[in-house]
Amino acid sequence: MNFPILTSLIALPIAGAVLLLFIRDEERNEPLIRNIALIVSVLVFAETLLLWTRFNPASADFQFVERHAWIPAFGIDYFVGVDGISLLLLVLTGFLTPIALLSSWESVHKRLKMFCVFILLLESAMMGVFVSLDLFLFYVFWDAMLVPMYFLIGIWGYDRRIYAAVKFILYTMAGSVLMLLAILGLAYLHSQGTTGEYTFDLLKLYAMDVPRSQQFWFFLAFALAFAIKVPLFPFHTWLPDAHVEAPTAGSVILAGVLLKMGTYGLVRFAFPLFPEAASFFAPYLAGLAVIGIIYGALVAMVQPDMKKLVAYSSVSHLGFVVLGIAAMNTQGVQGAVYQMLNHGVSTGGLFLIVGMLSDRRHTRLISEYGGLKNVVPRLVAVFFLITLSSIGLPGLNGFVGEFLILLGAFRWDPRLAALAATGVILSATYMLWMFQRVNYGPVTDEKNAKLPDLQPREWLVIAPIVAIAILMGIFPNLFLKPIEPSVNRLIGQVSQRSSQRLQAGNSELRIPN
Amino acid sequence: MSDLVFLLPELVLAGTALVLILIARHVSRAQAVAVSVVVAAMAAIFSGWAFTPEAPEAPAAMTVVFGGTIAADGYARFFKVLFAATLALAALLSVKHVDTERVPPAEYYALLLLASTGMMLAASAADLLILYLGLELMILCAYVLVGITVNRPIANEAAIKYFLLGSFASALLLYGIALVYGVTGATDFAAIASAVSERNLTRHPFMLAGLALMAGGLAFKIAAVPFHAWAPDVYQGASAPVAAFLAAGSKAAGLAALVRVCLAAFAPEQRIWSEMLAGLAVLSMIVGSLLAISQTNMKRLLAYSSIAHVGYALLGLVTGTPDGASATITYAFIYSFMTLGAFGVVIALGERGEDLLAYRGLAATAPVTAALMFLFLLSLTGIPPTAGFVAKFAVILSAVRGGHVVLAVVAVMCSVVSAFFYLRVAVMMYMMEPQGAAPARVPGAVAAALAVAAFVTIVGGILPDTFTAWTVPPSLGKTPTEITRALTR
Repeated sequence: MNFPILTSLIALPIAGAVLLLFIRDEERNEPLIRNIALIVSVLVFAETLLLWTRFNPASADFQFVERHAWIPAFGIDYFVGVDGISLLLLVLTGFLTPIALLSSWESVHKRLKMFCVFILLLESAMMGVFVSLDLFLFYVFWDAMLVPMYFLIGIWGYDRRIYAAVKFILYTMAGSVLMLLAILGLAYLHSQGTTGEYTFDLLKLYAMDVPRSQQFWFFLAFALAFAIKVPLFPFHTWLPDAHVEAPTAGSVILAGVLLKMGTYGLVRFAFPLFPEAASFFAPYLAGLAVIGIIYGALVAMVQPDMKKLVAYSSVSHLGFVVLGIAAMNTQGVQGAVYQMLNHGVSTGGLFLIVGMLSDRRHTRLISEYGGLKNVVPRLVAVFFLITLSSIGLPGLNGFVGEFLILLGAFRWDPRLAALAATGVILSATYMLWMFQRVNYGPVTDEKNAKLPDLQPREWLVIAPIVAIAILMGIFPNLFLKPIEPSVNRLIGQVSQRSSQRLQAGNSELRIPN
Repeated sequence: MSDLVFLLPELVLAGTALVLILIARHVSRAQAVAVSVVVAAMAAIFSGWAFTPEAPEAPAAMTVVFGGTIAADGYARFFKVLFAATLALAALLSVKHVDTERVPPAEYYALLLLASTGMMLAASAADLLILYLGLELMILCAYVLVGITVNRPIANEAAIKYFLLGSFASALLLYGIALVYGVTGATDFAAIASAVSERNLTRHPFMLAGLALMAGGLAFKIAAVPFHAWAPDVYQGASAPVAAFLAAGSKAAGLAALVRVCLAAFAPEQRIWSEMLAGLAVLSMIVGSLLAISQTNMKRLLAYSSIAHVGYALLGLVTGTPDGASATITYAFIYSFMTLGAFGVVIALGERGEDLLAYRGLAATAPVTAALMFLFLLSLTGIPPTAGFVAKFAVILSAVRGGHVVLAVVAVMCSVVSAFFYLRVAVMMYMMEPQGAAPARVPGAVAAALAVAAFVTIVGGILPDTFTAWTVPPSLGKTPTEITRALTR
């Protein structure tokens, strides 16, 4: 296929943003601005679906590859492609962006044009992160993405938005600059090799044999950047602030897509580039992940603020993803990739519900609610479904991912799996308890008695999420199939290279099995 | 006579300056003068471009003219173009200021022209004395420019400080030159290099002392810590266009001289100056970034940021390789435009541009100005896809290549610190409520300068290859001027 579909995924939102810049930010233009942004994002979503249908699920290779020289002096190419791991993340990004835009339909009026511009730029950068196969290009998108998110939190957020925005950007930058150094180091190392050329080409760097001592440092630098992004305990402290202060659309994208970049980075870069160091550090990563699962769940349980509760639940859920990746077997990684999608859908949904409630009542405190079941039955029904999906009830999406991850973890280290499984129970506790306090019992507050139920626009926002949650729960193979070959290739890459070294007898690194 | 073609840019600028001084009494409006200065700068760019040899025949050869005192190479051409561009932008940025502050326009612009001439000479010097002359010509004009608004006491204070400290630094530089001459018997770069290596003078105590003194004198010119103390006061005291000119032009000139001296004259001493420069770089990055955090005056903030940036720029030179030197001059080039842009916004906002708090809500009252400021701040922070990222990438890559991993780590950490204070301005502009009335309309000349700076900042970030071909390291060694002969024939 000659049409540069991946480039268009990056370029289309930018074009939309540029188009918006030419429209005056006046009240009468509001519908026009919203509609342009929405149409562009829906087009991008349609393109990601097209990509999915054209994708060959049997192949483990990168597809739709485009490559052009960009900065020949440094050996930097514009080099993009997708495999099974990134494909569905692209679809997820395309799926959540229009939903985020729709969710802000009523709540954002202030500087609407810039809001839409930033959402579109963010989408473009996210797409770029997932399709980049050149480390420099990846880093450019990775960093460029910070700017629109920073503004989304800082301008359209709640009370402590500035603090949260600055904390978000400084934390993320602190992690990523060391990764930049590691990227430079890798390129330098490649230039010392037989070819003597500088390259940031991921495929060439995959093939390179990085000396053990350097792998150690490089892996730490990459893992730190990704661990902050995920966020892995104890690097998670920026997340509750950012989530709580961000506007609903920001939270949806932050939870739905941005956090996945951390786990995606581990899968795409940190593990296959430095397999030996990865095998060495995997137990530590898994340990932190399990701590995160339990700690996130416990902290979520005591939150008085719904949004904060969902934020901490993300720490817990993303812990599962990291655990699955650390296990580095088919079930674990497949489950991890699946769980990335799940978390995007279910946590995105939860943030939307919380946003709808706080649009109505202008508070997110659980204690302010109670007895909503009879007031807004439809909203509560949807809320219930998404809660169950987040808990991981069989038949809904969350179950498949968590099950696969636990299976993979069990094959690797049963103790970790056992500990992580408590997180499943805890998540049921905090979610259901919150759900109960908000929706059951008598209506304690007069203000809650006359809340309106779901509006048509809100149906439009939430229905796709519910549909996807059910679809992913009932037909997981639809989604798992394209993932599988790429995951197997990845595991082959990691285990083969680290065990080769082991057989050669020049490695002291322990390979967990 | 044919050697003169290589000095055409300098001649054009100096000639324009002399004409301006002659007709000074008949000139009252800045605009016409500014236009003529911009035209002169364009002519300088063109003549610099057209008459410099493309590349030396042998890579290690230096094409020298005027009896081995002026280098005619791609490196000199690159800086001449940069200085002419800086001059043109500074001239545009100054128009309103010159009119409102009642500065005599012809004198003001003549000083800008002469300072740029000095910068060009310094960048193309192949002899320590020419280097010194160029730098002195630049800084003498700069002293006057800083204090030219006579009715502002703070400007006078800044000028005196600058003059006293600057003279001291110039004395250091001259003393260093004298010591080097005493040891090697030469002021010519190539002769110094060959004398040092042939007579094994690398560890000669006077040679080391001379090197240290020269490093100090040049470090003052680029405002590297610990020779930086003048910069915040001078930038704050000088009017914003002059501060912009100093921050971009004089810093780049200092770097140009430093890179050439280190590589061409003191190549055998590479290990010694690398260590000295590494120290300067680390101190500059850390001190510049940390002190910028607490600034509330925009010009002081940009002054400390300029100190930090010189630290980044030195990372390339520290490696002592031609590639590293290329990275340093790439940095100087990009830095000049982004800092001119940031100062340009300060100028565009007029009186309130200096106070950090006055930037509150600027995005609502002046969206385009705020967006431009944000672009320059992003670039100064080094966030892609701006030119500042490419610049930082280039110098950090060369530091990693040279094995200076610690330096690279310090650099990236400092860039996170710098994100804090640059983004604070963005917080003011975008996340706070507007204060007071909307700023006045941006004058056309300032808008033109901002557009150029923004253009370079964006294109440099997205298509950095467009100028990497020009950022050639200085040529080394000495050969007969074959190219000159070819031209005269």
